[in-house]
Amino acid sequence: MSNLLVSLGLNETLASYLAVMIWPALLVNFVAIYGGVISVVLRKVGGWMQSRLGPNRVGPGGSLQWLADAIKLILKEGIIPAGCDKLMWNLAPFLIVMGVFATFVVVPWGSYIVPSDLNVGILYVISITALTVVGILMAGWASNNKWSLLGGMRAAAQIVTYEIPVAMGLLPAILVAGSLQMSDLMKAQGWSPFDWLVFQNPFSMLAFLIFFVGSLAEANQTPFDFPEAESELVQGFVTEYSGFRFAAVGLGEFANTWVVGALCTAVFLGAGNLPAFLGEAAFLSLLVFVVKVSLVVFVMIWLRWTLPRFRIDQAMEFSWKYLLPLSFVAFFGQALFMLATYERPWAQQITSHVMVLLFLGVLFKFSGRVMANIRLQNTPVNSPVKIQPPAPAAPAPAAAEPATEA
Amino acid sequence: MKGYFSQMVSGVSTVFEGMSITLATLFTKTATIEYPDVDVRSDEALRKGGYKGNLRGMPENYRGLLHVDMEICTACMICMRACPIDCIVITNVKCDKRKFNGKSGKPAVQTRAATRFDIDLGKCMFCGLCSEPCPTGAIHHTTEFHFNKGSLAELVVCFVTPEQAALAQKRAAEIESEEKEKKAAEPKDKPAKSKKDDETSEG
Repeated sequence: MSNLLVSLGLNETLASYLAVMIWPALLVNFVAIYGGVISVVLRKVGGWMQSRLGPNRVGPGGSLQWLADAIKLILKEGIIPAGCDKLMWNLAPFLIVMGVFATFVVVPWGSYIVPSDLNVGILYVISITALTVVGILMAGWASNNKWSLLGGMRAAAQIVTYEIPVAMGLLPAILVAGSLQMSDLMKAQGWSPFDWLVFQNPFSMLAFLIFFVGSLAEANQTPFDFPEAESELVQGFVTEYSGFRFAAVGLGEFANTWVVGALCTAVFLGAGNLPAFLGEAAFLSLLVFVVKVSLVVFVMIWLRWTLPRFRIDQAMEFSWKYLLPLSFVAFFGQALFMLATYERPWAQQITSHVMVLLFLGVLFKFSGRVMANIRLQNTPVNSPVKIQPPAPAAPAPAAAEPATEA
Repeated sequence: MKGYFSQMVSGVSTVFEGMSITLATLFTKTATIEYPDVDVRSDEALRKGGYKGNLRGMPENYRGLLHVDMEICTACMICMRACPIDCIVITNVKCDKRKFNGKSGKPAVQTRAATRFDIDLGKCMFCGLCSEPCPTGAIHHTTEFHFNKGSLAELVVCFVTPEQAALAQKRAAEIESEEKEKKAAEPKDKPAKSKKDDETSEG
């Protein structure tokens, strides 16, 4: 940004000062608008996925619903519950939003634009997201409400549990790049899927999946939305909030989806890297990046409307018993793979091509299932046409459970 | 150890299948009928909106809007007494004796006619306790559910028009005067029986 301003003929000191002002203004506005728009997209996609319509009254196809929601939430009275810890209670929603906004410092925009390319970039993201949980815990404690306190406690338990798999999931990427800096992590990958980190080898694929699932949990997205479980905790830490503070909490949560998507894209999915012949086209790179992030966010929404919420003990079990060991496997596997193929680029080439082919195969099988399900859903009930039943499930886990304990 | 891995496999495969189902639903047509915009009582309008479900309308035993068939109502006030929230108001006067069969085929005798039969649907909770004891089946629930009105006062449904009430009252006055004449002519004609008649009509 400051380079751009200098090229426009500004003094270098002035330009860097201006860049410090302009970046936050741009980012805060982007986050606010994105948070609103994604809330509508979320409900719309959720509606379609449940054979409903979703919001469709405000604006064409309900597309302006987020404006109506924002106006309503800002105009509403902010009720302060009796007996709450006023300072902490008022501070908490803004701490939550701050934790999300702060990650945008290092979240890249395409391969060539990073607001502030810290040399500890990815470490900074991992640590700053914990601020959100401090906010949630504060909100839960200060609300003077048992449900809220339970929600806050769950958030604390969740961040302790899922922080480790997320960090371990990022390690393979750091191994490959040899740096924590965002731009280095992006440069370590190429433009074609064969050069993306996900498809480098089975271990990096595993690391990506662990990172993605763990980030979902850290961003409090369904199926990991324990702190605000509606059916169990009556919205948990949000119970007592109304008006603008409620809007701030929701904004933080929705904006978090972009952070997760951008990190996945930047670290694992080839960022906004372009083929060499296109040069350093920043805008095109941004476009590629945004498309990829949107796809990841769509997958998040998709998972949200597919999976029911875990029980809290299941979630703990899932992280400690499954994600954590697997993340160790991914880390050591990646290290061994790099050691084994260090002087054999052809082996790396073959592995990545096989991985892409495998992924395409899975995608093909998946689209087959989707077609079968579309046919199934378009068939009237009681019709004589027989539909091929879904593939038989794996051996019942319930029966095998005692074996794991023994 | 085997269970540990089989649980992983089953977890991944069920998520796989679940996601295929949600994606398939994303691409299929929605099942929603936008109720106030689409006339749900017309099959054509429903079919036009792409509705593929049940076109028979509401089931027979649906407890919707109350309706009173004044042709067979004997103004016996049983429904008024049965109503737990007193949303039915009936006043009646004497009328010509009439014998007929109710909806269920049971014989009924009408001795009194209603001059007022109001149901406050704003109060009604559609419990069906009024239609059960009705001796002729005059008061009954229809399958109609669409009766949104602008104000509470409009929700009071009157089944006897003022003209009908005036007619009934006029006839009652005539009957009374005739009876008085009869009584004057035959003062000692079975006094016990007439007393009993009065009681039943009053109570």
